[in-house]
Amino acid sequence: MSTDALCDAPLTEVVASLGRRAVSARELVDAYLDRIERQAGLKAFITVTASHARRQAAAADRRLVRRDSAPLLGAPLAIKDLFMTRGVRTTGGSRILRDFIPRRDAAAVSRLRNAGAITLGKLNLHEFAYGVTNGNPFFGIARNPHDPSRIPGGSSGGSAIAVVAGLCAASIGSDTGGSIRIPAALCGCVGLKPTYGAVPLDGVIPLGWSLDHAGPIARTVSDAALLYAVLTGQPPKPVRRPRGLRIGVLSDRLLRPVERGVAAATERALERLQGAGARLREVALPELSMSVAAQLATLRAEASALHRTWLRSRPRDYGRDVRLRLQLGALAPASDYVLAQRARERLRAGLRRAFEQVDVLALPTTPVTAPLVGERKAPWPSEPVDGALVRLTSPFNLTGAPALSLPCGLAGRLPVGLQLVAPWGAEDLLLGAGRLLEDASK
Amino acid sequence: MTEREALAGAARAADLRLGARDLEALTGAWRRYRELMAALAEELAEDLPPG
Repeated sequence: MSTDALCDAPLTEVVASLGRRAVSARELVDAYLDRIERQAGLKAFITVTASHARRQAAAADRRLVRRDSAPLLGAPLAIKDLFMTRGVRTTGGSRILRDFIPRRDAAAVSRLRNAGAITLGKLNLHEFAYGVTNGNPFFGIARNPHDPSRIPGGSSGGSAIAVVAGLCAASIGSDTGGSIRIPAALCGCVGLKPTYGAVPLDGVIPLGWSLDHAGPIARTVSDAALLYAVLTGQPPKPVRRPRGLRIGVLSDRLLRPVERGVAAATERALERLQGAGARLREVALPELSMSVAAQLATLRAEASALHRTWLRSRPRDYGRDVRLRLQLGALAPASDYVLAQRARERLRAGLRRAFEQVDVLALPTTPVTAPLVGERKAPWPSEPVDGALVRLTSPFNLTGAPALSLPCGLAGRLPVGLQLVAPWGAEDLLLGAGRLLEDASK
Repeated sequence: MTEREALAGAARAADLRLGARDLEALTGAWRRYRELMAALAEELAEDLPPG
């Protein structure tokens, strides 16, 4: 395989090629940097750390010659610009932090580095991760690699673009209402939002304390599993496909409306899972009806509390959409937040009940495929695009249950993501279920 | 007092500086937010005994 072709290979293959010295880390880094330059119009990166990456590659190559072993030794990754990186500016996609150079790495970044990963740079995102379109007013509107007139989704849009366009071997992102899973679905790759708290958030610029998660964005389920193991400080292990998997198909009102092409791709994916031995069962989760309001009240309050000082001292330094969201949160009464927490408890209880009947839940990740840049409304009345994009992902930020988005087909020319949700702490099962679909789709 | 005036007053009290365009956009967003929260409060109302 040529070095350029390796840019599109799964992380596990990249690591294996490096291990048997079929390619050097330096060759790989150069190939990715070349791709990054050629694909600059996608606006995936905010900062490219070329010389730093080459230095890391030289060190990795020395270790590879010595037959050192580490799970990600020499693998070139890229990092959402919400994670602090020592000596490399960390903007959060904002004007406010445009010149912020941290003195330390985020804990998640440290774990990647300790596992031997090379970092190519920092990836574009919706300002402060507070939005899902990735129309960043300061660092450029990120573009979907399948169709640059469309959004990649966000807030980890740069992370998904970089994976799909072959600008890095894999990436990491954060997810407060769907920010890993939405861009993974709209761009056509795998995104894992682990159980709340599983991946450390130390050194990640927060958005909503009780909703923030960090996790991998990758080309395959096995790649996501490898990164998940490293990010959680566990030894990597093979992904095992579960036998006799019981899949709950949600039938609630929250799931409607969904674009016809998305519904059809979801249906076909469920049939493939059934063909692979899974058993499908319809499951009701009526508490989902409260999730939109609960997510909104929780996030508005938590984000506005975090941004309290800047919102008052330098409101004009925010992009307009983010400023308005923060202002609304600053005006909302505390009783809304309390109501939202009660709703969350109900939702968690409902989800626990559902998992007494099935092993995982399956639903579309987003009800729409990638909208056009600047599109404000969903293709049906009274739902804004950003509301539609988080409608099916945010319930699992509220509950903290792990959720995986993986490609399940196309609607027209655009990717569709299937979302699988597992009980808290059951990432192995979740990744295994994802692998089942991935294999059945080959 | 209109909804917009009430919101402008609340913003001043919260020490937020709102331009006319922001106030306009916020008024619409606020209305939708209040509707959602009213529906949520209604769903959770069964927690209380009937008054």
